[in-house]
Amino acid sequence: MAILLFFVISVLLSISAVLFRNRTVTRIITLAFALVLILFTVYSWTRLNQTDLTYFTYDSTGVLLLTVLAILTLPTVYHGFIYTSGDTDKRYNIYHAGLIALMTFMAGAYLANTMTVLWIFVEATTLAVAVLIYHDRTEMSLEATWKYVFICSTGIALAYLGILFLGFIYGRGDAPNLSFSSFSLIISNASPLYLKISFIFVLVGFSTKMGLFPMHTVTIDAHSVAPPPVSALISTTLMNVGFLAIFRVYKLFASTSVLPFMNHVLMLAGLLSLLISAGYMLKAKHLKRMLAYSSLENMGLVAIALGAGGAGYYAALLLIVMHSFAKSSLFYQMGQLSRVLHTFKLDDCGRYMKLYPAGAMVLLTGMICILAIPPSGLFISELMIFRGLVANGQWFVLIASVILLSFVIYAMSTRIMHITFSDPRDESKVQQPGAVNPVETVSQFMLLAIVILLCFYQPPFLVEMINQGIAIIPR
Amino acid sequence: MVNYLIVLFAITLMYFSSADRLITYVKLIAMQGLLLCGIAIFELKEVNTANLLFIVAETLIFKTILLPYLLNRIIRRSGVTKVHRLAMPGFYLLIFSIFGLLISVILANILVNPFINTIYLAIALFTLVTGLLLIVTHKLIISHLIGFLIIENAVFMFSLAAGNEMPMLINVGILLDIFVGVLILGFFGLRLKPHTNELAMLKD
Repeated sequence: MAILLFFVISVLLSISAVLFRNRTVTRIITLAFALVLILFTVYSWTRLNQTDLTYFTYDSTGVLLLTVLAILTLPTVYHGFIYTSGDTDKRYNIYHAGLIALMTFMAGAYLANTMTVLWIFVEATTLAVAVLIYHDRTEMSLEATWKYVFICSTGIALAYLGILFLGFIYGRGDAPNLSFSSFSLIISNASPLYLKISFIFVLVGFSTKMGLFPMHTVTIDAHSVAPPPVSALISTTLMNVGFLAIFRVYKLFASTSVLPFMNHVLMLAGLLSLLISAGYMLKAKHLKRMLAYSSLENMGLVAIALGAGGAGYYAALLLIVMHSFAKSSLFYQMGQLSRVLHTFKLDDCGRYMKLYPAGAMVLLTGMICILAIPPSGLFISELMIFRGLVANGQWFVLIASVILLSFVIYAMSTRIMHITFSDPRDESKVQQPGAVNPVETVSQFMLLAIVILLCFYQPPFLVEMINQGIAIIPR
Repeated sequence: MVNYLIVLFAITLMYFSSADRLITYVKLIAMQGLLLCGIAIFELKEVNTANLLFIVAETLIFKTILLPYLLNRIIRRSGVTKVHRLAMPGFYLLIFSIFGLLISVILANILVNPFINTIYLAIALFTLVTGLLLIVTHKLIISHLIGFLIIENAVFMFSLAAGNEMPMLINVGILLDIFVGVLILGFFGLRLKPHTNELAMLKD
C-alpha cells in the first residue's frame, strides 16, 4: 500500500502547487515531494522483489533506476528554483506542479510490473513533460512541445501495437494484466514471428522516450528550448524509462528463439544512433543540441551493449546509471552558462573559464566523464562493451563504434574547449556577462565525483542490484 | 455485416490517398469514426453492456464528432484548403497505398492466429501503413495530424480484432484516443500560428 500512499501524496502535492498561488508554499511543497520520493526510494530498498498493489514490483532494475531519480531529485528541484525565480507566480507554480507530476509518473513506470501499466505511465510522462517544455511560452517552445507530443504519441501508439501483439500471443482476457514474470512462464510457446513483430513495435515506440534511432529527433528539439533542469531529466531519468520498457520486453523474450534477432536489431539501432550523433555533433552550432546528440550516442552504446550480450548486459545498466549522473550535471550547468553568456549558440560563446571558472571546471570535468575518458566511470562500461564485442567476434561493430566515437570525442572536446578558453567568434553579438554564484555548481561536482568514483570502486550493493536485474537473461 | 463495414473502412483509406482537399480528409475521418462504431456494435457481442456503451460513446463522441470538429476549426484558422502543394502527388500515393494493401493482406495471412480475425488484421495493418504514408509524404502539420488519427484508428481496429477476449485493451486504446484528441488537437492544434504550415524553427 506504500506505493498508493506515494501516488496519492504526490498527486495532492502537485495539485496543491497549482492551487496555492504563493511561491513560498510552492517551494515547501516541492521540497516535501523530494523528501517523500527519497523516503519512498529507501522503503523500496527494504521491499526488494516484493509486489505492491498487484501492478507494481520493487524489482532490482526498477529500484536501481528509482534510486537514480531520487539522487537527482534535490539538484533538479534546486536548479529549478533558480531557473524559475524570474517567472510569474502562475508559471512558477505550473512548472513545479509539472515537475512533481513528471517524477511521480517516472517512479510509477520504473516499478510497473505489467506492460499496460508501464505504457500508461509512459503516456502520462509525455503529458507532464509537455507542460515543462512549453514553460517559456515562446514560438520555439510551442514548436518543440508540439513535435515532442506528436512524435511521442505516434511512438506510444506503435508501442501499444507491440503490446497488442503480446496479447495476441496469449489471447486471453487477462493478457494485458499479466505481470512480466507471469508472461515469462508462457512465452516459450509463443510464435517467434509474433514475438519479433511485438519487439520491433515496442523498440520503435519506446525509443521516443529512450531517444534512440529512429525516433531520436523528438528529444533533440525538446532540449533546444526546455529549461535546463528539465533537459537534465529528459536526457537521463526519462530516457531510463524508455530503456527500461525496452529492456523488460528484451528480458521477457530473451529465453526464446528470437534472442539473436533482437540482438541484431539492437546492434543496428545502436550503430545508426552512433552514426547520427557523430554526424550531427560534428556540425553542431547549439550547445544543448550537442549535449542531446551526446545522449543519443550513449543510448546507442547501451543498445549495442544489450545486443552484444554477456558482459554487455552489466555494462548497459552501469552505463545507464553513470550517464544519468554525468549528463544531468552538464545540463544543470547549462542553466548557469546561459545566465553568464546569455546564449547557447556555440559561435557566440567563449572565455567561460575567465568569466565563471567554477562552471568551466564543471564543463571540462563533465566532458571528460561523458566522453568516457579515464578516470570517468563510463570508461569501464565502454571497455566492457568492447570486450563483449571482441569475445563475440563482432569486429565490424567494434571498429565502426570506435571510429564513430572518435568523431564524437573530437566534436565535443573542440567545442567545449572553444567555449572555455577561446574568444567568441562574433564579438559583436556578445552581451554583458552575468554573475553567478560558484556555490551553485556544488551539486554538479558531487554528481561528477560519483561518476569518477565508480571508475575505481563499484560498491557491492550496486553490483548486486545490476546482477540481479540481468540474472535471468541467457548469456 | 461486419465484413461490409470493414471493406467500406478500407475504401475510405484508399480515398485518403487520392483526396486533394483537407475538408475531404476531415469528412473521411468522421466517416471512419462512424464505421468503427458500427464494427464495434456488431463485433463486440461478448463484452458487457456498460463496456460496449463506453466504446460506442467514445467512437461517436470523439472519433465522429469532436475530432472532426477540432480539425475543421484548425483548417479554418490556417486558411489552407489543399494538401498537394506540399505533398507527394495523389497518383503516386495511390500506387503506394495499393502496394500497402497487398503487403498487409499477405502479412495478415502469414500471421494467422486463432485469437484474431484475419480480415481485421489485414485492414488494421493497411490503416497503419496509410497513416504512416500520410505522415511521411506530406509536409503540412494538418496532414500529419490526420495521419496520426489514422494510426489511432489502426490501433482501435487492432484492439477490436481481439476485443471479445480482451476488452481492457480497447479501454486502454480509448485512453490514448482521448489523450490525443484533447491535447494535440484541442491545445496545440489551435495554438499553432494560423499561417504556420510547416515547423522548421528548430533545426541543426
